[in-house]
Amino acid sequence: MMALRTAATGMAAQDLNVDVISNNIANMNTVGYKKQRAEFEDLLYQDIQRPGSQSSDTGTIVPTGIQVGAGVKTGAVYRIDTSTTPTQTGNQYDLAINGTGYFQILLPTGETAYTRAGNFSVNATGQLVTVDGYQVQPAITIPQGTTSVNISQTGLVQASVAGATTPTTVGQLTLATFFNDAGLEATGNNMFMQTAASGTPTLGDPGANGIGSVTQGYIESSNVDPVSEITALIVAQRAYEMNSKVVTSADQMLSTTNAMKQ
Amino acid sequence: MDNTLYVGVSRQMILQRELDVTANNIANSDTTGFKVESLMTSPDPESPPNVIGNPRPIQYAIDHGMARDFSQGKLTQTGAPLDLAIDGQAFFTITTADGDRYTRDGRFTIDPQGRLTTQAGDLVQDASGGAITLNPQGGAPSVGRDGTVTQSIPGATAEAVIGKINVVRFDSLSSLSKQGAGLYANTASSAPQPAPDAYIHQGMLETSNVQPIIQVTDLIRITQAYQSISNLISSTSDLSNQSVQRLGAVQ
Repeated sequence: MMALRTAATGMAAQDLNVDVISNNIANMNTVGYKKQRAEFEDLLYQDIQRPGSQSSDTGTIVPTGIQVGAGVKTGAVYRIDTSTTPTQTGNQYDLAINGTGYFQILLPTGETAYTRAGNFSVNATGQLVTVDGYQVQPAITIPQGTTSVNISQTGLVQASVAGATTPTTVGQLTLATFFNDAGLEATGNNMFMQTAASGTPTLGDPGANGIGSVTQGYIESSNVDPVSEITALIVAQRAYEMNSKVVTSADQMLSTTNAMKQ
Repeated sequence: MDNTLYVGVSRQMILQRELDVTANNIANSDTTGFKVESLMTSPDPESPPNVIGNPRPIQYAIDHGMARDFSQGKLTQTGAPLDLAIDGQAFFTITTADGDRYTRDGRFTIDPQGRLTTQAGDLVQDASGGAITLNPQGGAPSVGRDGTVTQSIPGATAEAVIGKINVVRFDSLSSLSKQGAGLYANTASSAPQPAPDAYIHQGMLETSNVQPIIQVTDLIRITQAYQSISNLISSTSDLSNQSVQRLGAVQ
């Protein structure tokens, strides 16, 4: 009886589904986090009678064969890149992207990572860095004695230095866009790396054709919707239970078979 | 006398297979584009005209095919630009190493050359049978209701038309053979036809059309039927035991 193994694949799939949902709920308050979803596909089929096989010498064929499936497997864990409303923080180094685009971050390994989390700060030498201390690209250095920093919607960074009447331009932020965001590889710490599936990044100033604009004093909250996650959790748990009912039914049938011979 | 046993066993074998099919439906209740299946059973041979005086032939239960319910699954929004769902009775055409395959599962991605592929890396066909090659430097592709793919190319003012996704329908859906991973093969000699009445939705996926309540009710029905056939076989066996004992008893 295949049903026992088929149900086991179903239970394993729902197990993974719960893992993904729990990660979403755990990251409900992570800045710039994008919710994920597990996607499944059916396993191989056993041909008991192939559709299209001949059923007589005169050439009649079986219209619908009998194919019994062997269960389910995980196809992909998907990231859902819907945008959220930015949350006000008032911090002058907090940046939210309104629309598509990623900030570029220089990793200690020399590679460039991409992030939607704009909760930046300034390090000891005045460089704009992430919470992990990695430099934001293109490098922006805030001069000594700066009283306030203004970052425009188009990413122009201006510093008001004590004693000067006009603010000084200290840099221009650029954003990277990808034509398939879902193909980016998540590496933790809110960072993404480019892959063959994401395509190469297109760099541009915020607000320019199709690229999102930057809002200072706001951060992007995660797009996890607690209600839909809890609903998904209930559905996953019920699906798990239903698969276990198949195991029970198969077991009952086998024990019925055993009971026939007393 | 043994006929009851054999008829009972023929039914039990089918019930076991029905359980396998139901198990697969339940396991795939969350699979994108999955279509629910059930086993079709009938008496074999079919009942002949009843002639008075003639003995009726023994009828066994056999499964003669698989019924697949191709009704539309619900569309859920994912927001990913390469997630496509079909609204209507049609399939995407995929080029695989074994020939053309058809699917309702529109979770596509791109390969390093920028070609639109399935998650397994097989090419998605355009209307002329070729691949759909996107420009990796271009903007996010946009897919129209009829499957036309357009993309903004840096430097160009108008959106460039990349191609048209090949969406086809079949005269007879029963000739499709399942290959796993959401793919179907065409076993009929007739080629699939273009499906202008099916619409593509970008950023959406089609869920399976499995209805849990029906599957669970099926589980109950299958176990109960199995149990009752088992009782039938037991009582027949008891009857034959008793007859051996009574008839064989030395008076």
